[in-house]
Amino acid sequence: MLKPGDPAPPFDLPSALDDQLSRLSLASIRYEMVVLFFYPRDFSFICPTEVIGFHKARAAFQAENTVIVGISVDDAETHRRWARELGGLGFPLLADEGGKVARAFGVFDDQENVALRATFILDAKRIILYAVASPVNVGRSVGETLRVVQALRSGKLCPADWQPGTDIEPTDAKY
Amino acid sequence: MPALKPQERRRTFERLSSIREIVFGVQDGVLTTAGVLAGLSGAVSVRSQVILAALASTVAGALSMGAGAYLGTHAESAVLRSELDRVRRESEEDPYLVQESLIEALGKEGLSREAGYRVVKLLSSSKDVLFNTAEEKLYGLTGGTFGNPMVDGLLMGIAFLVGAVVPLLPYMLIASVRLGLIAGIATTAVTLFAVGYVFEGRFSGDRRPALAGLRFLAIALGAATIGYVIGLLIAPMGAVSAG
Repeated sequence: MLKPGDPAPPFDLPSALDDQLSRLSLASIRYEMVVLFFYPRDFSFICPTEVIGFHKARAAFQAENTVIVGISVDDAETHRRWARELGGLGFPLLADEGGKVARAFGVFDDQENVALRATFILDAKRIILYAVASPVNVGRSVGETLRVVQALRSGKLCPADWQPGTDIEPTDAKY
Repeated sequence: MPALKPQERRRTFERLSSIREIVFGVQDGVLTTAGVLAGLSGAVSVRSQVILAALASTVAGALSMGAGAYLGTHAESAVLRSELDRVRRESEEDPYLVQESLIEALGKEGLSREAGYRVVKLLSSSKDVLFNTAEEKLYGLTGGTFGNPMVDGLLMGIAFLVGAVVPLLPYMLIASVRLGLIAGIATTAVTLFAVGYVFEGRFSGDRRPALAGLRFLAIALGAATIGYVIGLLIAPMGAVSAG
C-alpha cells in the first residue's frame, strides 16, 4: 500500500456521474485536493453507508476545494445503476475493472479480486498526504476523512482530535 | 393426482426423515434376533432356553435402541439449537455480514450480484425473514432439521420389536428347532428384502428396487451365517451348557 509522500499513480478510467457515462483522469481533476476512496463492490450492504455518507458531505468537501472520487472493480454501467439505486451520487464512481489502479495503489485483494477499503488524500501535486485502509466489514468515517482534509488544508500543526475552529497550535511539541 | 402444496410437501419431507429410524430399527431387530436364534441354536440344544434368550435380547434391544435414538436426537437438537442461537445473536449484531453472505450464496447459484442484492434487500424488510432465510441458505438448518426425540425413540423401539418378531415368531410356532430356524431365517430374508425393496428401492424411485432388496438380504444372510458359525465354534468350548 502506498504511503504519505508517494506520488499517486495516474489513472484514466471510465466513470459514472449524474447518470452519465464518461471518463475521468487524475490529471483532469482541477480541485486542489482529491479524496480517492476504494471500496470492494457495488450492490453491497456495507459500502452504501460510506458512499452515501460521502455524498451527503460533498458540499463540505467542495468547500475545502476537495473532490471525492469513488473507485471499485465494477464496470461503469454497474456504477450508474448502483448510483441510481442509492438515489444519485454527487461524485464520480470510477470503473477499475481488473483492479489495475487498485494494484498500483497497493490496495488490491487478490483473494477476493476486489479493492480493499482504502482512502487516499492527494494534494495539488497529486502526492499522497494521507492513506488509510479498513477491514472489509468496517465502514469508514466520512467525518474523520473531512476532518483530516480540513486539518491538512489548515497548514497548521494539528494536535490529536483537532477540529476546525480550534486553531490552537500546541506549545508543547510532545503531543 | 393433484400436486401437493409446498407446506404439505415440507411436512412429507419431515415425515420421510423418520424412515431412517424405521429402517434402522427393523433391520437391527431382524438381524439381532436372527443372529441370536442362529447362534444359540448352534450352541444350546434346549429350544425354550433359546426362545427365552431371544425374547430377553429383543426387549433389551428395543429399549436400548429406543433410548439411544431418543438421547441421540435430544443431544443433536440441543447442540444445533444452541449453535443456531449463537449464530442468530451474531447475525443480529452484524446483519451486514449475513446480507453479504446471502448475496454471495445466491451468486454461487447463478444470480448476478445486482439481482442478489435486490433479493436480499427485499428479504431484509423483515428481520425474521432475513435470518430464517440465512439459517436455511447459509447453514442448511430448517425446522425439520430438529428431530423429535420422543417420536424418534418410539419409532426406533417399535421398529426393532417388529423386526425382532419376524424370525422369532416362526421359531416359537414350529416345534422343530431346525425347521423353526430355517423358517425364521426365511422370513428374515423375505422381510429384509422387502424393507430394502420398499424403502430404498420404491420410495427413492430406483428403477431397480430388487437390487436394494437383495443388498438387505445379503446382509441378513451374512449376519445369520456368521452368528451360526460362531455358535458352533463356542459350543464345544462349553461356553453355554444345555440344561
